[in-house]
Amino acid sequence: MWGFYFHELMRSLPFFLKGLWMTVAVAGLSLIFGSIIGFFGGIMRAGHNKPARLIVGVWVDLIRGTPFLVQIFVIFFILPGIGIELEAFPAAVIALTNLTASFITEIVAGGILAVPSGQKEAATAAGLSGYQQLRYIVLPQAMRTIFPPLVGQYVLLIKDSSIVSAIGVVDITRVGWLTVQRIPEGLMVFGLVGLLYFAICYPLINLSGYLERRMTVVSTKI
Amino acid sequence: MLEGFNFRIILEYMPLYGKCFLATLWLSGLSLFAAIMLGVISCAMRLSHSRILRGIAGVYIESIRSTPLLAQLYFLYFGLPTVGIMIPEWVTGVIALTLNSGAYYAEIIRAGIQAIDLGQIEAGIASGLSYFQRMRYIILPQALGNTIRPMLGQAIILVKDSSLLSLISIMELTRAGQLLTSERFMPTEGFLTTAAFYLIIYYMLKSFSSWAEKRLIFREAY
Amino acid sequence: MISFKNVNKWYGDLLVLNKIDLEVAQGEVVVICGPSGSGKSTLIRCINRLEPIQKGALIVDGMNVHDRKTNMTQLRAEIGFIFQQFNLYPHMSALGNVTIAPIRVRNIPKGEAEKLGRKTLVRVGLGERIDSYPAQLSGGQQQRVAIARGLCMQPKIMLFDEPTSALDPEMINEVLDVMRDLAKGGMTMMVVTHEMGFAREVANRVVFMDEGTIIEVAPPNDFFTNPQTDRGKYFLSSILTH
Repeated sequence: MWGFYFHELMRSLPFFLKGLWMTVAVAGLSLIFGSIIGFFGGIMRAGHNKPARLIVGVWVDLIRGTPFLVQIFVIFFILPGIGIELEAFPAAVIALTNLTASFITEIVAGGILAVPSGQKEAATAAGLSGYQQLRYIVLPQAMRTIFPPLVGQYVLLIKDSSIVSAIGVVDITRVGWLTVQRIPEGLMVFGLVGLLYFAICYPLINLSGYLERRMTVVSTKI
Repeated sequence: MLEGFNFRIILEYMPLYGKCFLATLWLSGLSLFAAIMLGVISCAMRLSHSRILRGIAGVYIESIRSTPLLAQLYFLYFGLPTVGIMIPEWVTGVIALTLNSGAYYAEIIRAGIQAIDLGQIEAGIASGLSYFQRMRYIILPQALGNTIRPMLGQAIILVKDSSLLSLISIMELTRAGQLLTSERFMPTEGFLTTAAFYLIIYYMLKSFSSWAEKRLIFREAY
Repeated sequence: MISFKNVNKWYGDLLVLNKIDLEVAQGEVVVICGPSGSGKSTLIRCINRLEPIQKGALIVDGMNVHDRKTNMTQLRAEIGFIFQQFNLYPHMSALGNVTIAPIRVRNIPKGEAEKLGRKTLVRVGLGERIDSYPAQLSGGQQQRVAIARGLCMQPKIMLFDEPTSALDPEMINEVLDVMRDLAKGGMTMMVVTHEMGFAREVANRVVFMDEGTIIEVAPPNDFFTNPQTDRGKYFLSSILTH
């Protein structure tokens, strides 16, 4: 019996690989869009404009204070109420982008605030404008603090992307859920699901750790 | 969207929300307690001198960190019955949450201990303190201060993670929102109310975190 | 060139600058000294509005520094500021550091700015270090790059906030040499420092401050040999004994 199910599972492998691709795609798109939005969000959050800081702060708090599952239900079920009809895949990308952007906002803001204030003073004393300071002095230095957590962010994204299976997006988790209806061997099916996630996440986690260690070494040299 | 916001429905469902709010608190609280204990034990194993213990803890922690909670939850939910373990869904849910957060707690505690200045431990050794004395008077008190914030952060994550239990039909806050959606076609009222309850828990935990930090920092000044 | 008229500054309830009246003429070199917390760094940081003032008037090169309508970019281009912690931009070479402001603020074309940059770096003795990064330079070299960075803007005034306090003793002189040169060349300078030898040699006047107030102003020889006030005497006795 077990052998039969195992055989069936192996025959479903292409289905799993399609799910894998879906996971990577959803997470990847969200990472790209989320990074762009988060980048600007971070600059606003670390800036002098108080209302902007406040609004971004409230947005980040709302996202951090509620479960992602609820957020994706809100986007998928409630937006149609105000006229925006969404299919599962775009809704998933929007929700995940929103989530990513909020995390990256905090990472970028942290990186900007970590640049020693002496740098900003020197730039001010030299007469550089706010924009010039950001562009030539602050951001280049902030990038070193910002880059390593970004890789870790992708890992988080891949894991959170499993939740979009709840609105029907056919990612690795959903493939597992659908498969287990036909092949009632939960351990085998979700063992495979776990393996696939592990194969992506484990190397990325190690890469992120490696980058964080390298960055710390470089800063202490200066 | 807001013009048609049906407050009466929410009032009607308030008893349900109340029960679900308590359910969320109960499920999260129980899992949190168990997860912290599991985390302490796993961390001790991870830092022990025995390669076997280190290995077991390592496999456990890395598998959890590299796979999504939802996949872990489904693994237990669909897998346990196939090996003859028949337990109520809520127990499955609590086990999944415990195993998941336990691994992250193990890492948090490990980081807190390793962040302690080696020089202090050497001073302890030099003055003749035993391993347990060093643990008790030097290492653990400082580790406590280091880890309070990340530990409360993980607690917040755990509460949000509990929303996934709704996907295996457990009656908690997110499920209440799903019910309002399926029974009355009111996802807006349903999920926004759910979100509001989660935000209450979030802000409660955040203020507890600030209060706890202040009290502990004062203690460290000794 | 620089004129303080009844300048007062508070940090919250704490009065840090108390009724400051001071005139600095073009080409003058003024050294400011005093115990820590006396407000001397705060004083010069107000000149290019790194710090705001609450009362009084600060006029620099005819412009009111703390007037909202003043074009700060224009004003700051005329003032070079040297920090105790150097504050060089770590991600740019020495040449990059000295040319960024001329290119972006004065809008000088890159080629011209680099020529000027190289000349200035040679002038401060760093001709061989033009392409080095701050991390590769010693403290004294970094501070000299910082001075070159200020000079490249061709300012009318140079302000120095304890320029040698963060340096190892053997590097102090290389920086003071550059500053001496500047002074002899006729630059208007205000220098917060403990280096009394330097003050004696090039300063026109020494301003002694304590607790936010100017206590004594005198030519260096007068002040060092014959301080008029008790606090001045006390200060000199405590620093000259080592």
